Amino acid sequence: MKVSLNWLKEYVDLSGIPVSEIIHNLTMSGLEVEEVINQNEIYKNFVVGFVKEKIKHPNADKLSVCKVSNGTEEMQVVCGAPNVEVGQKIVFAQIGAIVPNGNFKITKAKIRGTESFGMICSESELEISSNHEGIMVLSSELKEGTPISEALGFDDVLLEIAITPNRSDALSHFGVARDLSAIFDRKLKLPEINLEECENGIKDFASVEILDPINCPRYSAKVVKDVIVKESPDWLKQAVQKIGMRPINNIVDVTNYIMYETGQPLHAFDLKMLKGNKIVVQSTTVESQFTTLDSKVRKLPANTLLICDAEKPVAVAGVMGGENSEVTSDTKNILIESAYFNPSSIRRTAKALGLSTDASYRFERTTNAGGTIYAAERAAQLIAELSGGKVAQGTIDVYPNAVKQPVVTVRFARVEKILGYYVEPEKIRKIVLALGFEITFENDEQISVRVPLFRPDVEREIDVIEEIARINGYDNIPTISSFSVPLGVKHDESSFYDKVRDTAVGLGFYEMINNPLQNEKTAALTGNQIGVLNPQSLDMAYLRTSLVPGALMVAAKNFNVGEKNLALFEIGNVFNKNSEETEIKSFSDFKEETKIIFLLSGKASLKEWHGRDKNYSFYYLKGLINSFLNNFTLDNVLNDSYYHSGNRIFDFIFAKEHDGNLIGNGGRINKEVLNYFNIQQEVFCFELDLNLLEKLSTQKSKYNPLLKYPKMMRDFAFIFDKEIEYEDVAEFIKKNGGSLLQFVRIFDLFESESLGVNKKSMAFELEYFNENRTLKDEEVEKDFNNLITLVSNKFNAKLRGN
Amino acid sequence: MLDEKIETIHSEFLKEIPEADNSKKIEEIRIKYLSRNGLLSSLFEELKNAPKEDKPLLGKKLNEMRNSIAQTFEQAKAKVDTTGKFFENKIDLSLPGITRAIGSKHILTQTLDEIKNIFKGMGFSVTLGPELESDYYNFEALNFPHDHPARDMQDTYFINNNFLLRTHTTPVQVRIMEKEEPPIRAIMPGRVYRNEAVSARSYCMFHQVDGIYVDTDVSFAELKATLVSFAMQFYGSDLKYRFRPSFFPFTEPSAEMDITCFLCHGSGCKICKGSGWLEILGCGMVDPNVFKSVNYDPEKYTGYAFGMGIERIGLLKYGIDDIRIYFENDLRFLKQF
Repeated sequence: MKVSLNWLKEYVDLSGIPVSEIIHNLTMSGLEVEEVINQNEIYKNFVVGFVKEKIKHPNADKLSVCKVSNGTEEMQVVCGAPNVEVGQKIVFAQIGAIVPNGNFKITKAKIRGTESFGMICSESELEISSNHEGIMVLSSELKEGTPISEALGFDDVLLEIAITPNRSDALSHFGVARDLSAIFDRKLKLPEINLEECENGIKDFASVEILDPINCPRYSAKVVKDVIVKESPDWLKQAVQKIGMRPINNIVDVTNYIMYETGQPLHAFDLKMLKGNKIVVQSTTVESQFTTLDSKVRKLPANTLLICDAEKPVAVAGVMGGENSEVTSDTKNILIESAYFNPSSIRRTAKALGLSTDASYRFERTTNAGGTIYAAERAAQLIAELSGGKVAQGTIDVYPNAVKQPVVTVRFARVEKILGYYVEPEKIRKIVLALGFEITFENDEQISVRVPLFRPDVEREIDVIEEIARINGYDNIPTISSFSVPLGVKHDESSFYDKVRDTAVGLGFYEMINNPLQNEKTAALTGNQIGVLNPQSLDMAYLRTSLVPGALMVAAKNFNVGEKNLALFEIGNVFNKNSEETEIKSFSDFKEETKIIFLLSGKASLKEWHGRDKNYSFYYLKGLINSFLNNFTLDNVLNDSYYHSGNRIFDFIFAKEHDGNLIGNGGRINKEVLNYFNIQQEVFCFELDLNLLEKLSTQKSKYNPLLKYPKMMRDFAFIFDKEIEYEDVAEFIKKNGGSLLQFVRIFDLFESESLGVNKKSMAFELEYFNENRTLKDEEVEKDFNNLITLVSNKFNAKLRGN
Repeated sequence: MLDEKIETIHSEFLKEIPEADNSKKIEEIRIKYLSRNGLLSSLFEELKNAPKEDKPLLGKKLNEMRNSIAQTFEQAKAKVDTTGKFFENKIDLSLPGITRAIGSKHILTQTLDEIKNIFKGMGFSVTLGPELESDYYNFEALNFPHDHPARDMQDTYFINNNFLLRTHTTPVQVRIMEKEEPPIRAIMPGRVYRNEAVSARSYCMFHQVDGIYVDTDVSFAELKATLVSFAMQFYGSDLKYRFRPSFFPFTEPSAEMDITCFLCHGSGCKICKGSGWLEILGCGMVDPNVFKSVNYDPEKYTGYAFGMGIERIGLLKYGIDDIRIYFENDLRFLKQF
């Protein structure tokens, strides 16, 4: 919210306090000053100028060349405005001035061949209004050379304050001034009402009826008759402009002014337009339509609180008035509405309409139920003063549902317990009083306060403790020098993922973090996607069902920028509904699982001086996954399976299973999917369920003694039919190699026509040992020779020449 | 005669041996000089026929030469490796080494690890929770009433009326307290979502670390001390800090912690928007309403809570000017950390 320092000074004496200290202390007590606009700074080098001479520019029809005096010297200025005339007092931007609109600096310039030493400004260039019709003409009484900030009253400091949702009271100058008064211990002096009322009673003009007291607990109103609607005086126009509003007329400007002063939103109705001179506050029961004063037709849901006259709605309560009853230049008698609405009701309506106004913003944050009459009277007084109107006698105040003022007891010991330091009771007393609380009881241990209605955020002891803490300053809260750490069991639920990450990094993978929101088609590729109700765009409307699509999108992006060789991983959560039709009503209707994805593409190693380049392949994927899993003590609980047939994502699959449950799978991404992601090179992915893996992964439980006896190695190579698979042979060898054979390893695979048509050679290394003794050559030789025969017979394989 | 021969053969050997840079040549030299029929043997044969008075001297000389040759030969032989190549065969030491690939953790993970380690050192556990969360845990139990403007502080992606993508990691606080009795001291890192238009300054998701400590006598003073200690370990011990009042529905009193801008050291710059201060986290004393929602007695227990964003730290620390780069996963970016 924008706040004017000059305005604040009307309510609290801040003399002698530097602006920087005011700003600092506001921020440090909870009203964070986000931006400071010092008008003196902005309008530096802008002075009142006097146009002494005007001739046509020799080279341009639309330009004129003026002589402008700033009181001490005369300067030649080229001006393009049609309304510049000799004898005018104007806003003169001298060399060095920075024009607020556009943020450019005035320098000596040559315009169409004529030198110009400054600029004559329009209102829009000064950001006073959007008027760019011509230059701004000032009162002829102003003295040349007077700084513009002084001449136009732009000597203010405007503060942009971030008001947290709890501090509805601070959405007004009164509220900010009250905090300042407490912080600096200066007296708060709010304006007194000084009404001159005419003899006509308000009941002769209007009546108010509340049909929905839950949503409208209070409705106060004043009537001003015989107003003349016109432009506001300068001071009021400037005041509303400072806080960022557009001046409209002397009625609307006053209601806005009082809203920014007191925090109470007001609305002025043209009484003539209120049928039956009546206000009826009620909620709708069915959906309806209404034209607000911005001439927009609004669709109102059922249960919208409306302000009606005897026949029709005239305003959406607390949000915006209607076009049918707004103040116009013909208006004579007005009714000023000053109400208190149920915050939830206003919030629901504003949300439904997608319309947040100054009024709704305040009402939904809870306004001061105790301040409706004051605001109405203050507005009536000001409107009467500025419009020549007369205030009808009396005030309408329908208050069927009194808002309660809580009484809160604060224990001094509790203050110390929460804040960690002792605050003198006298100090507490002073703070609560300065904030407008009324002390109802006090003794040595506690104090009870009645909370004013303008502080709806304060309801409990803890709320008052916060008030004490913030006004006394958080800086005054000490920091302790040590604390105790309980020796109970500590756990780190992320430690398994940390180990997973470290292992992947050690294997050469780079970690990525992807956006889990994607489009429906992508999410549907890999599971039962869950959508969000209110996405930013259709591209981010569904939660990922697998980490594969995200990884492929990253691959595609990298390929596009020339990064063709990728080893990437990501750890993240995926989301799947139990079935396509499932409606999510509880946590059991969907699964959120933590997975890891590995992605390989391009070259595993580049061509180098010491070797050839190598491409990532299915075997790299398989090998790296096995290396990865080796780092987790799984004790061979995982089985491998292979599927040549593929699925929607992969054209062949390698899977890790446990007890028939899939732990992870992967393979080569099929062509169709690659096309979908616009990828032109082979990509291999593997996705593992980390929740399952964590459960299977155990701590190493027992040490294996080291082998004390030598190993013996043998190797052989056979020529097999090509379709015979490695694993069948290896398994056969393990089973039939005798009890001394411990390991089998393929170390060569070779296909050539020289071996025969559809033949291949596989060479195996065999490792023999016994944990308890040294082996004899003969026994190994016997087993080995026996194995050769068995393999030859079983696979119809031919031993290759030794 | 023999004397001369010894000299000649020795110098011949010394000339040949440096050229023996493979096992074949080494063997040739062995045969020529050191074998049974080699030159040295023949010299010893000749020694037998030498005049008696010269024998001691010649014998000594011959023995010395044999020892010298044998030693040199062994040295030369040792330089030849099993493949038969001479070890000292000059190699180009300036050629690049043969590497083995190593990857890296995402910078956000690295930052999080650093934060985690500091808090673990202070006795905090680490707890995780779901991203697809219920309205109850994300809002209601944390004292965000329905239809309250506080909900506007966190633009939310809704799945339906009761489920949403969590907007902060604070719901995990409730989940821990539902399961355990105080004392509780834990941090809760994780991913959160905000329904905001994607731009250089904001993204639809980011990462947070929340923390909570609940016990019988936890005070704001302890909260301040813990966070100051964290900030000094993380940002450097010479920093200045301040705590400002703020508002979060789940803490009361609430605060935001600022530290002096590490770019301008407080004089004001673009990063800190001229204020000299950088906001690094939100914190406060756990609101009694939160304790009530998990059936803790707010009279018996007090606690503090805090939360910070991870992305922002990198933006500040590494001068990253566009938050989107974290999630583009361009290898050229990933490789930098």
